Amino acid sequence: MNNNYEVVFIARPDAGDDIIKGIIQKAKDTAESLNSQVVKVEEWGKRKMAYPIRKYPDGYYVLLNISANPAACKEVERILRLNEDVIRNQTVKKIEVTSDKKTKKDKEVKESKEINP
Amino acid sequence: MSQYRSKKETTTGGRPQFGGKRSFQKKKVCRFCADKNMKADYKDFRILKQFTSERGKITPRRITGNCAKHQRDVAIAIKRARILAFLPFTTAVL
Repeated sequence: MNNNYEVVFIARPDAGDDIIKGIIQKAKDTAESLNSQVVKVEEWGKRKMAYPIRKYPDGYYVLLNISANPAACKEVERILRLNEDVIRNQTVKKIEVTSDKKTKKDKEVKESKEINP
Repeated sequence: MSQYRSKKETTTGGRPQFGGKRSFQKKKVCRFCADKNMKADYKDFRILKQFTSERGKITPRRITGNCAKHQRDVAIAIKRARILAFLPFTTAVL
């Protein structure tokens, strides 16, 4: 069973385009080798950070949406952590909202409707 | 007996217990409950910024008026945004 994860990483601001492309490609390759896929890649580009990380005032943000098993996700995280051009990374597991789940309020409304035709 | 009575009079008399400005304050509604499309997401730091103080602290529920569930979501989202340097952990006050 594959889960959906959101991986955001911040690359060094002075890293070139090819370095960033290389990081993304590496993440893709590792995910695919462990039968998972990178669903979406979103580059937010260079932006100012709220506080300096490793003395860099800004960073290059990239978001990866991956559909992976836990082992593959861990591997991608490990690769990002070991990469020197990546100054920060964060993985968040996305939890799908089940629409069938009814709140107490909904139930009460339904019941009252049933009583009063 | 008379002593007891006098004590009671002192507590009930004088200033009204539930008086003051607080009772006239309008009841705040949770903004996330009012607008279903609005979600506390760590990537959307513009919304999260409204729930932090000047110093970068998370504003308490009694001030923002959020419901417990959404305040929890906001707190988690702010903490995630802080890790990604979207929001500051602290800021120097001049």
